[in-house]
Amino acid sequence: MIALDAVTYTYPATAQPALREVSLSIPDGQFCAVIGANGAGKSTLCYALSGFIPHFFRGELSGRIRIDDVDTQAVTLAELVQRVGLVFQNPFNQMSGAKFTVREEVAFGLENLGVARAEMQTRIARTLERVGIADLADRSPFALSGGQQQRVAIASMLAMDPRVLVLDEPTSQLDPIGTREVFETIRALIEERGTTVVLAEHKLEWIAAFADRLVVLAHGRIVMDSSPRQVLTAPELERYHIGVPRYVQAARAAREIGLWPADRDLPVTLDEATEGFSSSSSLSSTRLDLRNSRNSGN
Amino acid sequence: MDVRVRDLGYVYPTGVEALRGVTLDMASGEAVAIVGQNGAGKTTLVKHFIGLLRPTRGDVRIGDWDTRTKSVAQLAARVGYVFQNPDDQLFSRTVGQEIAFGPRNLGLGESEVRARVAAALETVGLADQVDRHPYDLMQTQRKFVALASVLALDTPVVVLDEPTTGQDAAGVERIGSIVERLQAQGKTVIAISHDIDFCAERFPRVVVMGQGRVLLDGAAGDVLARAEVLAQTYVEPPQLARLALRLGARRAPRNVVEFLQVVREEVPFT
Amino acid sequence: MLIYLTGRSGRLHGLNPITKVMLTLVVIVCGFVLPGVWATWLVFGSIVLPLSLWGGIAGPLLRAVARITLPFAISLFVIQGLFFPGGTPILSLGPVSFKAEGLQFALLFASRLFLLSSAFMLLLLTTHPGLLMLALVQRGLPANLAYIIVATLQIVPRFQARAASILDAQRARGLETTGSLVRRLRAIVPLVGPLVLGSLVDVEERAIAIEARGFSLRRPKTSLIDIPDSRAEKGLRRGLIIAPVALIVARLAGWLR
Repeated sequence: MIALDAVTYTYPATAQPALREVSLSIPDGQFCAVIGANGAGKSTLCYALSGFIPHFFRGELSGRIRIDDVDTQAVTLAELVQRVGLVFQNPFNQMSGAKFTVREEVAFGLENLGVARAEMQTRIARTLERVGIADLADRSPFALSGGQQQRVAIASMLAMDPRVLVLDEPTSQLDPIGTREVFETIRALIEERGTTVVLAEHKLEWIAAFADRLVVLAHGRIVMDSSPRQVLTAPELERYHIGVPRYVQAARAAREIGLWPADRDLPVTLDEATEGFSSSSSLSSTRLDLRNSRNSGN
Repeated sequence: MDVRVRDLGYVYPTGVEALRGVTLDMASGEAVAIVGQNGAGKTTLVKHFIGLLRPTRGDVRIGDWDTRTKSVAQLAARVGYVFQNPDDQLFSRTVGQEIAFGPRNLGLGESEVRARVAAALETVGLADQVDRHPYDLMQTQRKFVALASVLALDTPVVVLDEPTTGQDAAGVERIGSIVERLQAQGKTVIAISHDIDFCAERFPRVVVMGQGRVLLDGAAGDVLARAEVLAQTYVEPPQLARLALRLGARRAPRNVVEFLQVVREEVPFT
Repeated sequence: MLIYLTGRSGRLHGLNPITKVMLTLVVIVCGFVLPGVWATWLVFGSIVLPLSLWGGIAGPLLRAVARITLPFAISLFVIQGLFFPGGTPILSLGPVSFKAEGLQFALLFASRLFLLSSAFMLLLLTTHPGLLMLALVQRGLPANLAYIIVATLQIVPRFQARAASILDAQRARGLETTGSLVRRLRAIVPLVGPLVLGSLVDVEERAIAIEARGFSLRRPKTSLIDIPDSRAEKGLRRGLIIAPVALIVARLAGWLR
């Protein structure tokens, strides 16, 4: 379980707090997505969940951050890294530079933890399989595509067996192929066992389908915290400068002219939208009207 | 200003043939999106417009200029190129100075430079940040500074390389309206983008590239419906297009309004 | 960006890195402590050259060393030859003449430079930098220093690529980079500025990345890679200490001219 209790944080030499009275409790195994305009505090939240705030960034912090029962302010950063993994936007900057092959790169964290060689080898092999990069094991980390590097970064964190994996806009700088590879990796991770996943993202289509929970940040505060469906179909979402998913927009507009059944929930995924429009009896009757009007020569 | 590409071929010094005969015509006031997988030749193509690359065969004309006869600095007067990574450009102490750099290089007078800086800042919404150090801003704001630096050049052709990377909804919206404004001013706007929904909404014309060739070139509504061709270059149709296609439509709607039209006209009777 | 060559006969490659480091140091000490130019070349001919042949890297080694030392050697000969204070002229070219002492000095210096670089090449051509750093860290080299060296090696090519992108981006804004000296000097800040500033951002992010993998943990680090070593090599290393120590003592005691 990972929790923030009334956390307010201001970066050094900054006037405004980046997080204001944020309280958030994420149970084990949950997949929690965090969305919000740029500057709303998504990255700050990710750093707070992984201990880099306050340890790396200093600044002023009030409130408590707990990872299981450990207060992150009471221990060193080094003690936290084993519990929480952090992956961020730039794939290249997460390649340590200390290692010449992907296998050794994934080993880097385990070496720092002092894991014995035999156990290291087992964990690395297992992690490479899990993330689907076993075929890249002998390649140089710097000879990979962005999507491949990002998966190596994820594997490097997972090898350390953290309870929580925090990802801060991991697909921002990737092309569609890389984006899909990373999302697939995250999905496999969620499906297989109980790692808690916190994902900050702008690409809502994928989150809508797979997240358990969606938290909206605005100006450093949590303004919405609910299921993806409830958040993405909420009328006030636009106020927070978050792009309402196009399926929702289309169904909402269609509902106003009777092309979407009034009693049906607004769709948040392609499948839901397809089903909804296909089954729409209003749609059938509209077709009927058009046909009739054509036949009568209008 | 017209951009004319004729049978353009380009081979990198490493031997990789990045362009295999591309022919395109873009007229003043056109907004064109170029899509396709990494390695399809999109960036290689647009680098020819600013003269950073010289054709191995074929030619590129910007207005009446053959790019082979002009230097990059000369072409900068006609083609504004916004690079993908703003940090590759920013070096000034303030945002204002950064934006003034380009116009000064063009040899414009100080009052003209100041006017252009103010206008560019207004357009990108950073007027209140004029005296800040660019690196005090967020990366996505720095992208707007880089964009403003090129807008200040007031070139008849504007090239945008992945303009929406990392932007939130408000940022994408602002970039989209800048594209429309540039188009309304009669400029030729060319954008490379992986954000296919952005392309559909803001660009009436879409060029699909794959393996150094043009696979499709035409109205967004037609091109983005050709899912099988797009798949060859690892491009998925935009969200609304995918929905419309699944419902049996043949055109790709570019926005919600078109989607409703397409559904009423083309979705078969159920 | 690595000098290291793979795929050769592998004999020297398979040796423990510390053994090779010691060999290099021994060669250097011998070459510098023994007096006279002949000693330097004796050390090269009796140790470095045979080892490089045995290791299958003689060709690349000689080419690399020649590339490094030749420019220095030529300018050394010219400068010392012409400007050595108060020497005896032996070759005249019009108003200027080469002095014997100057040429002798240059010869000694150049020979030692040759030996020094060939000794290092012997090490660097046959030792993977990752392994070398690991071996040194296991013997007490600070892990932070080793990290900086290895990461720099791997990231420099990216630096070069970024510099090329920056050049493109600034040229596209009308920056002139060719022509008069003044123009080129003015181009320095717009070219170097983004490189430095961008690198600061990268460095901070990379620091977070390695921190998130426990780089600062104060416990003994283990290693995935096992560095090859043997009793024979351990004995060799112990033995290798004797020669340079003996030579230094002899030199200090004045037994060597």
